[in-house]
Amino acid sequence: MAILNLLFATRNVPGIENIDVAEAHGIYKGVRKAVTMERQAVIDEIKASGLRGRGGAGFPTWIKWNGLPKNYTAPHYVICNADEGEPGTYKDRELMLKQAHTLVEGMIIAGYATYSKVGYIYIRGEYVEPAWQVRKAIDQAYKAGYLGKNILGVDGFDFDLHIHMGAGSYECGEESALMSSLMGERGNPRLKFPHAPLPTVEGVWKSPTLINNVETYCAAGWIIANGSENYAKLGTERSKGTKIISVSGHIRRPANYEVEMGTPLLDLITEAGGVIGGGLKAVVPGGSSVQIVPADRLGPINLDYESCGANGTLLGSGGFMVFNDRTDIVLLMKRTSEFYAHESCGKCTPCREGTRWLFKILDRITSGGGRDGDIELLLNVCSNIDGRSYCGLGDAAAWPIVGAIKAFRPEFEYWIKYKKSPVGASALPPSPEVVNPLLLQAAAAHG
Amino acid sequence: MSTSTSSNSESLREPAPAPVPETRFSAQAHAELDEIAGHYPERKAACLPALWIAQREYGGSLTSAAIQETANALGLSYAEVEGVATFYTMYNTVPRGRHHLEVCTCLSCAVNGAYDIVHKLEHELGIGIGETTPDGEFTLSEAECLDFCGAATIMQVGDKYFGNLTTENIMGLIDELRASESYTPAKLADSIVKILQPGSSITGGGSYTPESLELPAGPML
Repeated sequence: MAILNLLFATRNVPGIENIDVAEAHGIYKGVRKAVTMERQAVIDEIKASGLRGRGGAGFPTWIKWNGLPKNYTAPHYVICNADEGEPGTYKDRELMLKQAHTLVEGMIIAGYATYSKVGYIYIRGEYVEPAWQVRKAIDQAYKAGYLGKNILGVDGFDFDLHIHMGAGSYECGEESALMSSLMGERGNPRLKFPHAPLPTVEGVWKSPTLINNVETYCAAGWIIANGSENYAKLGTERSKGTKIISVSGHIRRPANYEVEMGTPLLDLITEAGGVIGGGLKAVVPGGSSVQIVPADRLGPINLDYESCGANGTLLGSGGFMVFNDRTDIVLLMKRTSEFYAHESCGKCTPCREGTRWLFKILDRITSGGGRDGDIELLLNVCSNIDGRSYCGLGDAAAWPIVGAIKAFRPEFEYWIKYKKSPVGASALPPSPEVVNPLLLQAAAAHG
Repeated sequence: MSTSTSSNSESLREPAPAPVPETRFSAQAHAELDEIAGHYPERKAACLPALWIAQREYGGSLTSAAIQETANALGLSYAEVEGVATFYTMYNTVPRGRHHLEVCTCLSCAVNGAYDIVHKLEHELGIGIGETTPDGEFTLSEAECLDFCGAATIMQVGDKYFGNLTTENIMGLIDELRASESYTPAKLADSIVKILQPGSSITGGGSYTPESLELPAGPML
């Protein structure tokens, strides 16, 4: 089992939140090295490392960095997407709590490489505790001369870093919606490439903008400090380095595990202490937006972009949820669809209406009102959402349902035919003291 | 969607009468807003921070007067600011209790007993989702994923996450909260406003002191 703590190397060092301890452990070495390099050489180093975006999409990082104009004539912005919201993911939370200096370092390097003078860290409003650590890291970095004017004595290298707090919206983790929110608007997504320019050409305030995830900036800092060759030698051909996987659900030791790309999925379950409360039934490897994989199909999957993609799921953001055999997949999908119905921003009709219909149909089925043809109806609604909205939220609402029907169709059929859960004792409980009317219906259906 | 935290049904309330103008932003609040607005190339971008300031100044919820004062401070229309305030779940467009209990019931929490905890709270406090106890002490909500899934079940109260909750330990926490002043909606807003201000890790804010920013040793999710 390849647990490799690159980004998490110092996560349990006492006092690591203080800059003197952080510097003593090699954080900020990357900035000192970067400012001695040509800006293009920094981008080339990221390219050589093979780093891909860690927020979920896996887009090659260097292409974004290389896409901004290479001069200071107009303002550019560097944005960190710390609006971690994907169900099952909590890696950015831990990175900000314990490795805030690593994040600040990565963003300073990005500011240098992309001729940007201002950076924003967009942190979800709920993450007050991690945000305080980032505040502390920024304040200390200013004092130590890593932020501000003429950083580390480099004439003309100015970089200011600000925190922008969200206020409760999953949608704002989508980059175009995040830009709307940063500009003080509702978090609605914007028209995207190829219908509109890329953010690197026209992002916030119509200026060239770089947006990366927390983990991506942390990895970029590591790569500059330790050399791209040391990063690129890890992982698989097209997925380099490490990935932090947030393990949760029915698992003995839930935690963030930083693993080498290409690690067999089942090894991670073993490393995390195995399944609790029953046998292994299914895994969602990359956050609630990706397809659920039944236990008997997990064997060939490795934790990298290609292997997950080839096996009908996605590595996504690394929100790795494990479910035991007492879990009712239909109830799980009902809860998933409720999430997307709540979080749909309402801009695009297929997503706004479709996510609610998915929830209503699944709620009806799990309340004992399932009808013949409901499965086809669900698939029909899914196919009318998928690919028909501005951003990926609609797709993300459809994929897990389609995946679950493909993998667990008999469970849906059982619910529709017998009006009760196929696994009897459900992990999503109807409790004897139900007050909530929605759950009351579900409880009645369980009889 | 009757189970949602913030709910669309709340934002579909009756149209409010024109607000009676109030000026509850202190001089310090205006100074904070001006400083934060300076982080952006245009003042409108400070809309989210301004609403956090308003939520603090108005004691934890955004009345129509609060939205009007925010709009005035930013030079925006009432409708524009209200549109933003009603989009985000953490802006309270209806009053909340002194402690807003937001229990995460998303996937990992749901399979680890989150609904049992919700039902226990409903039973013990005598309120349903979205309701407030008659003494104004607690408001109960279901939250969408709070992203601390390794410590399921999670509950956010004010600016703090409480993890590893069970039906056994939840009522002990409720008793502690009754005696506490630290995790109110206004304190949450104050913490966030302070986080937005450079240098505040030295002065603290909300329920935070500089000392509380020291991380505990050993593993922590």
